[in-house]
Amino acid sequence: MAQYIYHKADTRGHDHHEWLDSKKTFSFGDYYNPERMGFGALRVLNDDTLPGRKGFGSHPHDNMEIISIPLKGSLVHEDSVGNKAIAATGSVQVMHAGSGLFHSEYNNSVEEEAEFLQIWIYPEDLNTSPRYTLGVLPLITDVDVLHTFIGPGSLDGLTVRKDTWFSYGVFSSGHTFNYVIRKAANGIDVFVISGSFFVDGKLLSQRDGMGIRNATAIDIETLGAEARLLVIEIPMDIHDQN
Amino acid sequence: MKQATQLQLLAVGYDTAMMEVIERLLNSHADWKGTVAHSKQEGIEKMKKNRYDAVLLCAGVTAADETAFRATVEEEGLTTKIIRHYGGGSGLLENELRAAFNQSGL
Repeated sequence: MAQYIYHKADTRGHDHHEWLDSKKTFSFGDYYNPERMGFGALRVLNDDTLPGRKGFGSHPHDNMEIISIPLKGSLVHEDSVGNKAIAATGSVQVMHAGSGLFHSEYNNSVEEEAEFLQIWIYPEDLNTSPRYTLGVLPLITDVDVLHTFIGPGSLDGLTVRKDTWFSYGVFSSGHTFNYVIRKAANGIDVFVISGSFFVDGKLLSQRDGMGIRNATAIDIETLGAEARLLVIEIPMDIHDQN
Repeated sequence: MKQATQLQLLAVGYDTAMMEVIERLLNSHADWKGTVAHSKQEGIEKMKKNRYDAVLLCAGVTAADETAFRATVEEEGLTTKIIRHYGGGSGLLENELRAAFNQSGL
């Protein structure tokens, strides 16, 4: 029987600094809740807002797949393996930290806020070569289609693990569809970017999330127009190697 | 100044620049005392000479190296916890230590 773990928006950890407002679905930084240590290989889901020109100065990472999805504005990315890029709304960047790199992420605008999701996935293997890929989110004009944009065989080569898929879509009110698990024993984490959805009959509103275990498929119904949903299919055992 | 409750931590990682950051992060926390080692050999030698509450395995440390650190704990009869540190920075460091020591607040 499927198991559901709610991560309601207003129960997330919240840090507010002059340079960063961060809402954390799972324990991160100063926020520690032993009941919120991730969902399988999904370890971090931060909903971050950066004021104009603010951001994260150069700092290291290793052995983590770090996905940034700008929701408003754009980010300037620079790293120690020679990448410099602007990740604008409508794009997605995947940083495979591997054996280690330093990077910085700043809001590209002087005045406008930048909003983005920062998602960390445990890697499949340790100490591999770091790499960075900038790709695109599926077109928002293509309504009522759940597009997979990260996963084996994705068009932009956005891959984090052989057993992990990210999908995204914009949906009209009343649209119903289902998501069928690709790999047995994987879980699904759904995160509502905007609007509201029923997921297996359970209401999720803006910035709510829910982890689902032991399901083979989930049924989704949209409430309201321009509803945007992120679906992450993920192994439940971080040591699960293909 | 050392505090009575300070956790004695050894961080092992093979990237010098990254380990400088880890060392600074560890020692910026009032409840932690951090030391770093830049090789498996140096790490094992320090484990044998000093008593650490935990060894953090950082960038570059392989699964085979991890086995060697765990074997050292067994062979030396240590109570040291071996913790794989993921992410390489401040994001998960405190969480990993709190979880390992079952502490709601360090």
